[in-house]
Amino acid sequence: MGGPEYDCLTNPLGAVRISFEKALSSGYNPASSVGKDWGVVDLFRHYFSDESAISQIPVLDSSTIKWVQPKSLVRFRGMIQDMLGNEFYAGSYKDGVTWRTNKYSDVSQFPESSSSEMKVWERRLLYCVPVPGQNQWTESSSEELKNRFLNLTGQNREKRVRVDEEMTDSMESNTLEAGLNGSPYKKMKSGEATSSASGSQVTDIPPATSKDSLACLVKIYDSPESELKLNDVVEFLGVLTFDANTTMDMDSHDENSDDLSEAESVQMPSGKVPRLHCLIHRKLETQHFLRDSSLLVEPKSPQVFKEIRESLMKYLTGLLGNDHLAAQFLLLHLLSKVNGRVDNIAVGKLSLNLIHLNEESMSIFGTQLSNALKSLLPFTQSMPLTIEYLNTTSLGPKKDYRINRLMPGVLQIADGTHLILDETELQRGTLNSVGVENAQLLKNLVECQKVEYDFQYYKMEMATDVQMLIFSEGKSNIMPADLVLPFQPSQLNTLEVITPETTEAWRFYLATCKSLSHSIGQELQQVVENDLVEARQTDRSLGSQDLSRLLTLARMMSVSYGETTLSLEHWQMVLELERLRKERLK
Amino acid sequence: MKELDFEADKAYANQFLSTFVDANDKPKYLEILQQVANRKIRAIQIDLEDLVNYIDFKAEFFGRVIENTRRYVSIFSAAIDELLPEPTEAFPDDDHDILMTQRAEDGTDTADVPDPRQQIPSEIKRFYEVYFKALSKGRPCTIREVKASHIGQLVRISGIVTRCSDVKPLMAVAVYTCEDCGHEIYQEVTSRVFMPLFKCPSSRCRMNSKAGNPILQLRASKFLKFQEAKMQELAEHVPKGHIPRSMTVHLRGELTRKVAPGDVVEFSGIFLPIPYTGFKALRAGLVADTYLEATAVTHFKKKYEEYEFQKDEEEQIARLAEDGDIYNKLSRSLAPEIYGHEDIKKALLLLLVGAPHRQLKDGMKIRGDVHICLMGDPGVAKSQLLKHIINVAPRGVYTTGKGSSGVGLTAAVMRDQVTNEMVLEGGALVLADMGICAIDEFDKMDESDRTAIHEVMEQQTVSIAKAGITTSLNARTAVLAAANPAWGRYDLRRTPAENINLPPALLSRFDLLWLILDRADMDSDLELAKHVLHVHQTLESPALGFEPLEPNILRAYISAARRLSPYVPTELEEYIATAYSSIRQEEAKSNTPHSYTTVRTLLSILRISAALARLRFSESVAQSDVDEALRLMQMSKISLYADDRQKAGLDAISDTYSIIRDEAARSNKTHVSYANALNWISRKGYSEAQLKECLEEYAALNVWQIDPNTFDIRFI
Repeated sequence: MGGPEYDCLTNPLGAVRISFEKALSSGYNPASSVGKDWGVVDLFRHYFSDESAISQIPVLDSSTIKWVQPKSLVRFRGMIQDMLGNEFYAGSYKDGVTWRTNKYSDVSQFPESSSSEMKVWERRLLYCVPVPGQNQWTESSSEELKNRFLNLTGQNREKRVRVDEEMTDSMESNTLEAGLNGSPYKKMKSGEATSSASGSQVTDIPPATSKDSLACLVKIYDSPESELKLNDVVEFLGVLTFDANTTMDMDSHDENSDDLSEAESVQMPSGKVPRLHCLIHRKLETQHFLRDSSLLVEPKSPQVFKEIRESLMKYLTGLLGNDHLAAQFLLLHLLSKVNGRVDNIAVGKLSLNLIHLNEESMSIFGTQLSNALKSLLPFTQSMPLTIEYLNTTSLGPKKDYRINRLMPGVLQIADGTHLILDETELQRGTLNSVGVENAQLLKNLVECQKVEYDFQYYKMEMATDVQMLIFSEGKSNIMPADLVLPFQPSQLNTLEVITPETTEAWRFYLATCKSLSHSIGQELQQVVENDLVEARQTDRSLGSQDLSRLLTLARMMSVSYGETTLSLEHWQMVLELERLRKERLK
Repeated sequence: MKELDFEADKAYANQFLSTFVDANDKPKYLEILQQVANRKIRAIQIDLEDLVNYIDFKAEFFGRVIENTRRYVSIFSAAIDELLPEPTEAFPDDDHDILMTQRAEDGTDTADVPDPRQQIPSEIKRFYEVYFKALSKGRPCTIREVKASHIGQLVRISGIVTRCSDVKPLMAVAVYTCEDCGHEIYQEVTSRVFMPLFKCPSSRCRMNSKAGNPILQLRASKFLKFQEAKMQELAEHVPKGHIPRSMTVHLRGELTRKVAPGDVVEFSGIFLPIPYTGFKALRAGLVADTYLEATAVTHFKKKYEEYEFQKDEEEQIARLAEDGDIYNKLSRSLAPEIYGHEDIKKALLLLLVGAPHRQLKDGMKIRGDVHICLMGDPGVAKSQLLKHIINVAPRGVYTTGKGSSGVGLTAAVMRDQVTNEMVLEGGALVLADMGICAIDEFDKMDESDRTAIHEVMEQQTVSIAKAGITTSLNARTAVLAAANPAWGRYDLRRTPAENINLPPALLSRFDLLWLILDRADMDSDLELAKHVLHVHQTLESPALGFEPLEPNILRAYISAARRLSPYVPTELEEYIATAYSSIRQEEAKSNTPHSYTTVRTLLSILRISAALARLRFSESVAQSDVDEALRLMQMSKISLYADDRQKAGLDAISDTYSIIRDEAARSNKTHVSYANALNWISRKGYSEAQLKECLEEYAALNVWQIDPNTFDIRFI
């Protein structure tokens, strides 16, 4: 394994073919296998078992698409935005006496002979887009690789023909294998076509969220259906096929445009949306976006956590104009995530509503804060809640049966996204039916962490995990947050410059603490129980939600110190925090 | 691969069609064929069930039909061609028939020409269509489950229709006449596109070595009706975190115009690939699109009355009915995750079951639907209960008093945006006809809706007189309302009338008005704290302590119960009348009555009793049903009475005593049976344990004697 005959990086399809032939000789029967994997996945898994091998593969995005070769191995990081069902393809056929396979490709690799025996296999289509609200710092790792490529090619983007040629020459040590793909001349031509087409058209893919982001149609083989879900953030490793000749599709479409034809090739010409034949995939966590992955391996002592926590707290307090209490709650809020769902209650959510903010203070603190969060969290989004925005934007995703696609709404976001909702700009006005619906959606999101997807004939609730930070003048009625806190800044601080190392440490801290498991010990359980009952006895208005919030706070407090069991000290800290918060509310 | 003997299969099909007899010993298919010959119907639906039930059943043949359905459609068609009887009734000849007779005459002239193109294809002669209907046993596939291995097979798929194209003609046989030789040429079309003929294949043209000039004859050609539809998975079939899949369905001939967008249907059909043509074939490379060629359509019914039992459901229902205690078991299975509220769940179960509608001889209707209003403090899980009930009911609409804009709750006349005509659009209550309408935030309802709801709740119709449209729509729905007290929370210092912010006219229409008060109580607080802690610790609800019934079993049981219409036996009339009058008297005595007892209350008692009888699968109402109905009415206001008693300084035991004493005094007896005493006190919302305690305590005081075996009471 791993020898020259298996060059997975530059000639993945060759590797697939060789392994298929090997499998055939060891008794693999395509006629009865329904396209089941014959060892390709293991082969690639083995080859790319560590991070450094994976980082050799170019990342597909709007800039790399200009120089990445079709039929080469690429990786794509994105969110599953839509699922287009399965596709049937001629998986294998008999060429004379030997079986050939078409798995992992769009067109046959062998001249098509009128094959007598052909087996139809199936694969699943996923439409993936770059994660909405993905922040700059998460992309840095791909930036490096691209720079390396560009440096090698003399940084001349305009002369693409040469770029391509040189690039293939300089591609690592085993570039010679690339010859398998076809003659160099042919390659040059295809490169030309690619660049000209993408230059003009790549920018206007309709469903992608931003102008220069690149959507990708991923074809999934073998993996069980339950593994990949809507809105998952996944890294796909696979064979790229990309076709610049878009015009032909349009012509063929015209002749029967009035029927219900909605083949994805029509709406998503492969010239605009590249295809990726996925070999292996993995779900991405925040940790994968951190530049220095070595941080993950080291076990950390509570002391380290405490130190990072302190420095981060100091930073947050400074950001919030020395409002220590707000900083405390903000930190706990940033660490929250939905741990599980028990009959309609999302356990672990902790949305924060900072009140007593007006437009003026919002422009200072709000901007500072949102910039800071952008540099700390992988995915952030913010939403100005104005009457006009609510009345015009489509927040919830909606199925469009005309083109059989799920039209993304603003609220179709990946799990773990941080969402800032700015209500300070909300003025008096009338909501139209869209606005009412949107307000309902937001309320449902805050209360249950669920977004309703409109399928016209019925609605489907999709579970989400979004951290919501709400700024408003009074308590927000549209979005009843878990925590309402009057914001009391005392002074305006000039921000100190943060070193990249510190930011990286904070990112690491937030990501790690968030994923810690947590429990409450037996004896403390009794204490907590008594405290809860007592709280309810003194204040009848406390509901199960309030008790639930206390426990969530306790959990966050505990994990913020890197601990996995609740201590009495932390529980009392939470009670004290709540007491201070209640005082402020009076 | 073994050569298949299609001739033998044809003979078998022939034999099946001519000799199959159904359960009534009638030759089902011969009768259908006769009707076809008489041009009464066009569709011949071959039910595969019949094939299985056929005496001479061949499993192999059956398997082949399923696996290679399209081929067997033509085999069966060929068999039918042979079998088709002479018409027994005269029918007017149409163009097609005239053409056919002409062709038949022509045919004799040119019989010597052995050109296959010139032979009349049997397809053009047929004026019927053959459809297979898949076995209705077992669960239909979801779209997700249809795999590559199903290609060419007969499958049964359920889903919702999302789009339909117009019905268009589809050419089945193209007919040409040659300008040179005058021959008629036939070309069978099997795909969606075809290449027209440019050369005349007749022997004469060939002999003259001329190309000929075939001209397409549209009138002579055979067309089929054709419609394309899109079907999508039902929400309940989609796994969590996935998007519903869709599938193209082709409907031909008699099956067109059977479905409309929004219909929940089940298709039998053949799962087939569409070969790409032209440029698309070049572009698409190896990929094939697929579609379902429908052979049968079944619409799903969403009413209790039309509920069809699955195979094992009937058994389970029978087992449950035998089990006894079904009342408790079913009610506990409603919203099992909501803790407590046993009596409310019982009431909601009765709402689901309902009582039979009655129509009197003079045309007056008495509704059978049970209306319930839940009124209570915020945070007592009212809304969750409502939502859960909607999910259990086969037809349910959830709305809020404020949230239903535009059309509102009842109906409105709207201007259609496309045609610009005035159309009537039904609101939530009309949509919930024959079902349940849950209205949350009932107290915050618009004034216009509130007046309209009076009519809905008693007459069960919505009358509308707007914009020249005067009509009344059926709204036979059970209303389940939830409301908050007037000041958000129930204020015990005020009278109930002040707290309940609804006019008496509306309140009296509810069979049960349930007050749920959130009262300070150490035990329940501890329970809540424990529950929340448990949820946070283990991320799952605490064990329920019992196995709740599946919603579909619940639904099946309720629909079985709804088929009965129990009557009230004459001997019970007196009993009910007494009970009613005693409630009235009590209310007259009290200066702050908690309820408005009217004749409607009497009807409510009857309705609830009838629903209880239905649950027992009994045709007549028993006294125990009436007692339970009275008990529920009492329990609905228990949280208020508890307070009253405290005010009156009475504890539960002495109150129990006074109830028994009063009742005994009324009937002028000194001997009271235990069962009677239990009935009396449970009507007032006391438990059996409290009765026992009371019996012991007062026996010790020598107020009465207790029979040690039967616990009957004898006053001293």
